Amino acid sequence: MKPILFSSIASLILASCVLAADWRVAQPGWRYEFPRDHHAHTEFKTEWWYFTGNVADVSGRRFGYELTFFRQGIRPPAERAPELSRFVVGDLKFAHFAVTDVARQQFHFQQRTSRGAFNEAGFDDGERLTWLDSWSLRMGGDGVFHLHAEGGKTALDLRLATKKPPVIHGVDGVSRKAAEEGHASHYYSLTRLETEGEVRIDGQSSRVTGESWFDHEWATNQLAPEQVGWDWLSVHFDDGTELMLYRMRLADGSTDPTSSGTFIAANGASTHLPGRDFQMTPGVSWKSAATGANYPIGWRVAVPAMALQMEVRAVQQDQELALKPLAYWEGAVEISGTRDGKPVRGRGYLELTGYAGPLRELQR
Amino acid sequence: MLQYLRFFHWQVVRYGARHRLLALLNVLSVALGVAVYLAIQIANQSANRAFAATIDVVAGRAELQITRPGGGLPDAILPVVARQPGIAAATPLVRGIVTLPDFPGEYLQVLGVDIFTNEPFRTFELNDFAPGQFDVQEWLRVPDTIAVAEAFAKRHRLQSGSVLRAQVDGADRSLRVGFIIRAGAESALDEHFAAMDIGWAQELFARRGQLSAIQLQLVDAREVAAVTASLRAVVPPDASIGTPAQRGAQVANMLGGFQLNLTAMSLVSLLVGMFLIYNTVSASVVRRRNEIGILRSLGATRNEIRALFLGEALALGALGVLVGLVGGVLLARALIGPITETISSLYVLLSVKELTVTPWMLGSAAILGLVSVVLAAWLPATAAAKMDPVRALGAGSIIEQATNLSPTWLWAGLGAICLAASLSFLALATGPPWLGFGAAFFVLTGFSFLVPRVTLSFSAVADRLLRGRLRGPVEVKLAAANVARSLVRNAVTIAALAAAVAMAIGVNVMVFSFRRTVESWIDQTLVADLFIGPASNEIVGPSSFMPPAAIAFWQNQAAVAAVDTFREIDLEMGTETIAVAVVRGNERRRFPFLAGDGAEIMRRFRNEKCVIVSESFARRYRVRDGEAIELPTPAGRQSFPIAGTFYDYSRDQGIVFMSAKTFVPLWQDDRVNSLAIYLQPGVSTEGLITQFRAYFSRTGQFMMLSNRDLRRRVFEIFDQTFAVTYVLRTITVVVAIVGIALTLTTLIAERSRDLGVLRAIGASVVQLRRLLLWESAMIGLLAAVVGLVSGVCLSLVLTGVINRAFFGWTIQLAFPWGALAFTPVWIVAAAVVAGLVPAWRAGRVVLAEALRSE
Repeated sequence: MKPILFSSIASLILASCVLAADWRVAQPGWRYEFPRDHHAHTEFKTEWWYFTGNVADVSGRRFGYELTFFRQGIRPPAERAPELSRFVVGDLKFAHFAVTDVARQQFHFQQRTSRGAFNEAGFDDGERLTWLDSWSLRMGGDGVFHLHAEGGKTALDLRLATKKPPVIHGVDGVSRKAAEEGHASHYYSLTRLETEGEVRIDGQSSRVTGESWFDHEWATNQLAPEQVGWDWLSVHFDDGTELMLYRMRLADGSTDPTSSGTFIAANGASTHLPGRDFQMTPGVSWKSAATGANYPIGWRVAVPAMALQMEVRAVQQDQELALKPLAYWEGAVEISGTRDGKPVRGRGYLELTGYAGPLRELQR
Repeated sequence: MLQYLRFFHWQVVRYGARHRLLALLNVLSVALGVAVYLAIQIANQSANRAFAATIDVVAGRAELQITRPGGGLPDAILPVVARQPGIAAATPLVRGIVTLPDFPGEYLQVLGVDIFTNEPFRTFELNDFAPGQFDVQEWLRVPDTIAVAEAFAKRHRLQSGSVLRAQVDGADRSLRVGFIIRAGAESALDEHFAAMDIGWAQELFARRGQLSAIQLQLVDAREVAAVTASLRAVVPPDASIGTPAQRGAQVANMLGGFQLNLTAMSLVSLLVGMFLIYNTVSASVVRRRNEIGILRSLGATRNEIRALFLGEALALGALGVLVGLVGGVLLARALIGPITETISSLYVLLSVKELTVTPWMLGSAAILGLVSVVLAAWLPATAAAKMDPVRALGAGSIIEQATNLSPTWLWAGLGAICLAASLSFLALATGPPWLGFGAAFFVLTGFSFLVPRVTLSFSAVADRLLRGRLRGPVEVKLAAANVARSLVRNAVTIAALAAAVAMAIGVNVMVFSFRRTVESWIDQTLVADLFIGPASNEIVGPSSFMPPAAIAFWQNQAAVAAVDTFREIDLEMGTETIAVAVVRGNERRRFPFLAGDGAEIMRRFRNEKCVIVSESFARRYRVRDGEAIELPTPAGRQSFPIAGTFYDYSRDQGIVFMSAKTFVPLWQDDRVNSLAIYLQPGVSTEGLITQFRAYFSRTGQFMMLSNRDLRRRVFEIFDQTFAVTYVLRTITVVVAIVGIALTLTTLIAERSRDLGVLRAIGASVVQLRRLLLWESAMIGLLAAVVGLVSGVCLSLVLTGVINRAFFGWTIQLAFPWGALAFTPVWIVAAAVVAGLVPAWRAGRVVLAEALRSE
């Protein structure tokens, strides 16, 4: 089984450079519309609904979580025929679910994959934006999201309500991932979702509240071949502002100039941050026993335009989703630093990809 | 011991060196028996292994498997099944077979798998052509993309992206080679396996919505019974739920009869070898009477003498066993092809790539060979041991007393024949069927025991006749007397030759009767003018279906009077898998029924819910007309009365015929495997075939056989089946005739004194030679007569008992009169030829030396 999902996810995340004449490519000028764009965009090859968040129970016991639904288009819409065998795959569905139990310094993760032959996985079914077996993302009529996942030792059931409008990343409706034409995605976030619900670990259930971040991104061929991975960071600052940064890493170790970010003010106004406007410097690293990957889990970040300096520190070292075929680190982080000379704190999520193995070879 | 070895060297090794031909024949006869036996064992075991490996690949690590006859498990039940309590994992499977017109005779067994659920079940790996990689998107995206075995790709020079022309249900399709399927650690992968995504497999085989199997793993493997019970409620009533091992056992059971028959055939050759050993050891005992006498008077015990002759036989036997073991492996290589083809076309699709040779097989073949040698040599060796040293050394010309023949022989002979009759009866009435082989053995031995008495009577009658009015030449008279006088020696020769003749005749009559029976059966049943099916069915059995358009083509031809359709499906009856043929039409085809009014049976068959069964089926499952068989149908278990039993020689496990009118409404499945076309009078088949090909050659390949073609094909297969039998029969006779030559040569040496006396009293050299040739001829004649009688008895056992008990086939006994009548002629002629050299030598007897002892 190993190699199967490996290349699947690799091609998803790195959005392989297969010619995709039959798929729509992310182009400038996309006009976002909500709730329409919360739904699936099946004319694009890859898409994900990415939820991360920091929550805590009444006693202050902290948890981090990630629940992501992926759609990997296998057959472009033009080739889909309803009369074909139910097993013929239009979209491959898979999902990742992880919980960080900060108090116990434990990390639980799992993956599910499905072809959805029996509608056990799919997109856009009434309230369900996407689901895979019992894992689901629902959106109520009131715009409140409902996340549900369970399996193994852990379960998650959260309601997420937003006070801020969606933030469109990039310029002119596209988030550029490489210099070449078409290597881009449509990408928006709900940056601060008031979160409340239940986290269950080992049969022990906790009522939790906290804040979550929702990324929704769809694209075809967004990455260029020379890109080996990325480092992505989202931060909820205590003062009601948010920050998202990503750094595309090139094969030679340098940073792709198309890396970028967004700063969101407390009132929801967003500022695009081109790559030249910020520096991300790796600090402390952690070596995974499971995969041997060496992850830079501590960072020093500077955004001169915002007069922002900060340290990013993982709440615990092991937050690696050591999944087959593709492992990555995605974990809760704490932030401390200064903005305009004043101390600022925050919580967030850090994502580190392309460290656990030769991703490049899988870009076919 | 040392002394024994010295004896052994003098008596056996030097003797063997002086009689190389004799030694060689002994070695070869043992070798042949061992080789044939071993080859059949290897072939059988290899076939079983190959089948087990097939189960390994297909069922993988499934603990339970749901299947349905015809492969039509609705795929919608999969999630329901997977949710049942006690199920840990479930994966769907679609199986199909394609043939590859670009590689004649080649096929692929395609497994449509779901890579997302079958991981816990898989015993194979899927990879790109580049090792260690697997492009899941390509696997899922590209229709008709398959994974082939590495060996298969290499053999046919296939690369990633190669396109394979394939036949699916008579239609041409293109498969794209994209991946490699590799065996896991556990088993070797039959290179005829291919894999593809289950979705595209459903499309390729036009099986949308249908699965061949659902494989299951259980939370607790001990809960098979409970899980099976809960599954029953959610699967179609005619679905079967079982462990892969159960399916394996069913097939093993089907193959068992076929393989037992092969083993029995191989034992016949061992039996022939035993006769030869018996014959040659006897000859050497007779020839070395003097030495035995000397050894005995020098103090050798009886046991030592016996050990000497047994040792001789064993030494040659061991050599024969060695040659036989090597030959067996080589022969297995040659036999495995035809055997696998037979299994594939009759039972289950199989490909044997590797021969299984275990030490146990080699050991059992070696032991069997040596035991047969000891058994065969025991009697003559014991005779040598019992020999009175005084008489052995006696110089008198009359060595053997023919007058006091013990009546034991007669009674033993008659007893053995009675035993054969009882065993025949038992084999038919109660079984087990192999008792029939016991009957055959006792027929042969019974008549062998009668030979001394017959020889004596012949001599007496000849004497009276020649003394009386028929004043024959003196050498004839002498010859007749001599035959009886050297009774023990001659009886052995005659019995051996008679047994060989009997075997030849028995097999001849059996095959002849069988052929006649099949001929008349074909005349009655094979009445259509043209037979058509997808070409792939010829390679892989009835697995492909006729496209409806092709059926319509024939139905709409003005020149076509009627079209019968034929469908074969395996159904489960109790714990066994049986073959059911679904037929439509049949207005003209006449079933030869064992009993009852044929027209009335056919009327019921066409109009009522009932079946007709073949004789072999009725016998195998012990069912009779008027009784009913229970079969699982999509509407639950149903009972089908047996309206009639018909003669059928197409398969030994039997077949059930059901009319399409009964089958289609119940099973909702009207696919057909082949057509039988009846033309209007005066229409030629060629024109229609050309027309059909013009319409359908682009879409598929069909096998089209005219009535004459099919008949020829049937008899080709028939003759092929009996080819081994023919060879064995010939070897038997050759060996027996060489036996005559050996015996006569021995006789000359033995009787030199005798012949010297004859010369001294005035017999000419020519007379002596004539005398010996007459003796040969008489031996031949006696053997021919005894052989004819026992051969006919043997043929009764072979046709009436073994065939019926084993295969459930009634064979109408028919005699090849010409061949039978000719038998004594050629046996006598052969005996005379065998006597030529000894007779020529007899003329050279040196008088003085021969008479020295008188």
